[in-house]
Amino acid sequence: MQKITKRVLVAVVGMAIATLVGCGSKETESIKIALVGPTTGPVAQYGDMQMMGAKMAIQQINAAGGVNGQKLEAVVMDDVCEPKQAVAAANKVVNQGIKYVVGHLCSGSTQPASDIYEDEGILMITPASTSPAITERGFKMIFRTIGLDSQQGPVAGRYIANEMKPARLAIIHDKQQYGQGIAGEVKKTVESMGVNVVLFEGVNKDQKDFSALITKMKSKDVDFVYYGGYHPELGLILRQSREQGFTSRFMGPEGVGNKDISTIAGKASEGLLVTLPSDFSAVPANAGLVAAFKAKGEDSSGPFVMPGYAAVQIIADSIKGSGSEDPKKLAEYMRNNSFDTPIGKVAYKANGDLKEFQFVIFNWHADATKTAVTD
Amino acid sequence: MSDVFLQFTQQLINGLTLGSIYALIAIGYTMVYGIIGMINFAHGEIYMIGAYISVIVIAALGLIGITTLPLVLMITLLATILVTSAYGWTVERIAYRPLRGGNRLVPLISAIGMSIFLQNYIQLSQGARDVATQPLISGGWQFGDADGFQIYLSYMQVIIAVVTVIFMTLLTLFIHKTRMGRASRAVSEDRKMANLLGINTDQVISMTFVIGAALAAVAGLLVGMYYGVVNAYIGFLAGLKAFTAAVLGGIGSIPGAMLGGLLLGITESFTSAYLSTEYKDVVAFGLLVLVLLVRPTGLLGKPDIEKV
Repeated sequence: MQKITKRVLVAVVGMAIATLVGCGSKETESIKIALVGPTTGPVAQYGDMQMMGAKMAIQQINAAGGVNGQKLEAVVMDDVCEPKQAVAAANKVVNQGIKYVVGHLCSGSTQPASDIYEDEGILMITPASTSPAITERGFKMIFRTIGLDSQQGPVAGRYIANEMKPARLAIIHDKQQYGQGIAGEVKKTVESMGVNVVLFEGVNKDQKDFSALITKMKSKDVDFVYYGGYHPELGLILRQSREQGFTSRFMGPEGVGNKDISTIAGKASEGLLVTLPSDFSAVPANAGLVAAFKAKGEDSSGPFVMPGYAAVQIIADSIKGSGSEDPKKLAEYMRNNSFDTPIGKVAYKANGDLKEFQFVIFNWHADATKTAVTD
Repeated sequence: MSDVFLQFTQQLINGLTLGSIYALIAIGYTMVYGIIGMINFAHGEIYMIGAYISVIVIAALGLIGITTLPLVLMITLLATILVTSAYGWTVERIAYRPLRGGNRLVPLISAIGMSIFLQNYIQLSQGARDVATQPLISGGWQFGDADGFQIYLSYMQVIIAVVTVIFMTLLTLFIHKTRMGRASRAVSEDRKMANLLGINTDQVISMTFVIGAALAAVAGLLVGMYYGVVNAYIGFLAGLKAFTAAVLGGIGSIPGAMLGGLLLGITESFTSAYLSTEYKDVVAFGLLVLVLLVRPTGLLGKPDIEKV
């Protein structure tokens, strides 16, 4: 008897809370944008970059009067860059009735989440996922403000073949959608240019000991290594390589290019080559924006900051331009118009990819700074 | 010497280093199982806490200006073992002892809950990011040379092997030569009987958790120093591997855990070397299945029909 009373009580309280929450959101009348990415976990740094850019855009748009008189509101969600969590986050977006998503970050989590957004008619713009597979499925609601691995891989591959000219190249990847994808692109490019790939192998995410792999690379006389994946693994590989006396140069995609690679690898990160979107914070037109970030004590040079900003801005501009809040109409509007953003003039192909995007090669330094080696 | 032999030796060194760490963690699983027949799923997290504490202590010593290497190592070792053991003791006291005597599955669920709690607790208190430290001890010896390939044996690898051997010897002596060790063997054989004969079984069980945690702390410290990166989730994979090592060697058997750990490390290393890194877990777990098919109690385990 007592148990039943308790249950009823819980149900009543639950309903009361639900109603309160419901009321709360009605009063504000704001346009909600879900910012989804890793805010915890090993690659949370990238999530920070994306959130930093998106929040700045929201803040500036609101300061300028919002969108058609309505304020934008950020709803941050964490997917830890795990496919399972990404689906949970996507469902949460659906359940909260949010119509626009800026995210996700890792291609591996964007892929399953985008299925849900497409089905539910939610507009998604990823400022970071570069795997071509995401936009290959003929979806209507999925866009990017970043380039593709099929653009980034060849840039890296051509540089390796033309400038580094290794005699025995090793390509290592982390078996994830992003890492393996880009490693495959690099392999295709270098092999077509006659480079000898002696090793193409995957490592496990979260693996800590790479000594066996390093010994193997040493024994195969590998003189250049391309790594497809994220910085926690590459950082350890670099560090353990130098400790084992394996001194060949390494190169990686934008997933390795953040400060933490230098924290993990220390001196071993000196001379690492990284392909990144060009440094938008160095573009003169963005000087005011960079200063605004600086005023908040934030560093806008990360690869996903400006794409995050651009994603929010494109959503806002589309709402204004199309005069509608219907995500489907927005998607239509985005395909037929172009936008002036901090990442340059943005125009979309039918599949949601950018018409143009440039990757640049940087030389990474032990103090976590970088210098461009190509333009 | 040919370079093939040198490469083989190098891979053996790599495997033994990795295996030593697995073995240290595996002891904790096997001792607890041997005594109360329960798998302590929170043990991987105890190891993770050990790694965190060592990193914190090393950083703190650096801040107050103690940089003499032997002194730093001694203080860190002691502090890590002390604090981590306290965690091991507390976990047993809070999550397992109140449930003792009930259904066997209840403490198992409690252990999983504890594991999730500890992960989140560390993540909240220490931040969700990887914590990296610069190597305290770097460098090593190089020897042998064939076709430009040299064997590289780092000081850290030697330290890991030596420390593991020291602690394994201490543990073996403790189990076989001391009163408390004898009591723990008795409890492991028959808890009820040992209790009737006047052994304080609760105390023995607490001590088992403390010893398991102390060895996990040593493993955590070594890993913190060797790999230099810790996060709140390193316990999961390491725990899984160490548990595998314990089962491979025969769960409940201490020499079995040591053997299982080393075997697992070497298997992973050789698979990476001669097959592919992608398959190292496949081969390691395949080996486990194979051994269990032939010897269901593991390599050195004794058949025990009573325990689950």
